[in-house]
Amino acid sequence: MVRVAVPSMLAAQAPGRKGYDVEAQTVGDALHALPVADLLFNERGALNRHLNVYIDGTDVRERGGLDCPVAGAGEIRVVAMVSGG
Amino acid sequence: MLEGWGVYHATLDPRDGTVFAATNHRVYGSTVQRSADNGRTWRRSQKVGLPEDSGLTLDAVWHIEPGRAEEPQTLYLGAAPGVLFRSDDRGESWEVNRGILDHSTRERWFPGAGGMCCHSIQLDPRDSRRMYVAITAAGVFRSDDAGESWLPINNNVEAEFLGDPHAEVGQCPHKLLIHPARPDRLWQQNHYGVYLSDDHGESWLRLDGNGLPSGFGFPLMLDPKDPHSAFVIPEKSPEYHYSSGGQLAVYRTQDSGETWELMSDGLPKQAWAAVLREASAYDDESLYFGTQSGSLFALTDGQRWVEAVRHLPPILSVEVAQWSA
Repeated sequence: MVRVAVPSMLAAQAPGRKGYDVEAQTVGDALHALPVADLLFNERGALNRHLNVYIDGTDVRERGGLDCPVAGAGEIRVVAMVSGG
Repeated sequence: MLEGWGVYHATLDPRDGTVFAATNHRVYGSTVQRSADNGRTWRRSQKVGLPEDSGLTLDAVWHIEPGRAEEPQTLYLGAAPGVLFRSDDRGESWEVNRGILDHSTRERWFPGAGGMCCHSIQLDPRDSRRMYVAITAAGVFRSDDAGESWLPINNNVEAEFLGDPHAEVGQCPHKLLIHPARPDRLWQQNHYGVYLSDDHGESWLRLDGNGLPSGFGFPLMLDPKDPHSAFVIPEKSPEYHYSSGGQLAVYRTQDSGETWELMSDGLPKQAWAAVLREASAYDDESLYFGTQSGSLFALTDGQRWVEAVRHLPPILSVEVAQWSA
């Protein structure tokens, strides 16, 4: 079981839940288990470009991407990254 | 619940009062949402996407058109890149129209400033097999077989940015409307001019040389009681997307485009405003439009505009509907 935290706009689509406890082997599995998974991936299954995903504070890109195992992890955090200002 | 989403178009389905919204977000992609309680709560459709064999992925959802009264489960969705979807389960799921997706001219289509958007879907109320779509910048297309096949109908419509301005496709319609009382009549606000067709789009007549300050604009409004009347909101030019001369103004024709007259009573001067293609609406009583600077205007007594709301975010979509609580 791993905890997944999502931004408030996704919580509004859930509705209202900013955190989920899901059974998963990998980070990708955990994200696909969310009720807002359709808002995280495009129709080819690619993670939307402006999303960052952290596992216990580390960018999953540094841990093999969505195939990163979640065993022993405390939290997966989904963060919307809109650059510019 | 839709806070933060770009609502490119929202409309109330007159058949059962459901509100549909085509929503887009830079991070979370494109969705269709529907509400059975006038917007208090919303439900997402299943994922909208394009088949893998197309090599395309969905860019944005643009326009939702409820189907005819005799097909109560059906709605249509216009989207980018130049695609049309149909739902036969009240908007729960959407299937792409292969006739548009696989159109033989697609390689000659290209995106406008807002993408390659299918922004206008018009159903002939007298012929259940006839419908129209307008795509930027591909042109206007008609189907006479309920969406199986699509004929480009851009004769006489100029595309000055093309090497051949009278090409079969590649035109840039900004809004297409069928007149509800005279379905043979189509009005089109194009990138280059305002056009009228009285033969299902087989030929078009350009109308903007008779009093309009510019042929460039996005919104288009009609008078359901009078097929000779239309209303446009010109912008300065394709290069300058704001009202010309610092005057926010609606122009009206009442003689099928022979002449145009200014309707600016009540509208602000010293205003460099812009009105998007979905940000105007009409009904039997009045006209309505919203600006990118967040003001909503309504016409009162057929002559004078009143600013009904101000200080909104940029207004992307305006529709008018009547319902009882």
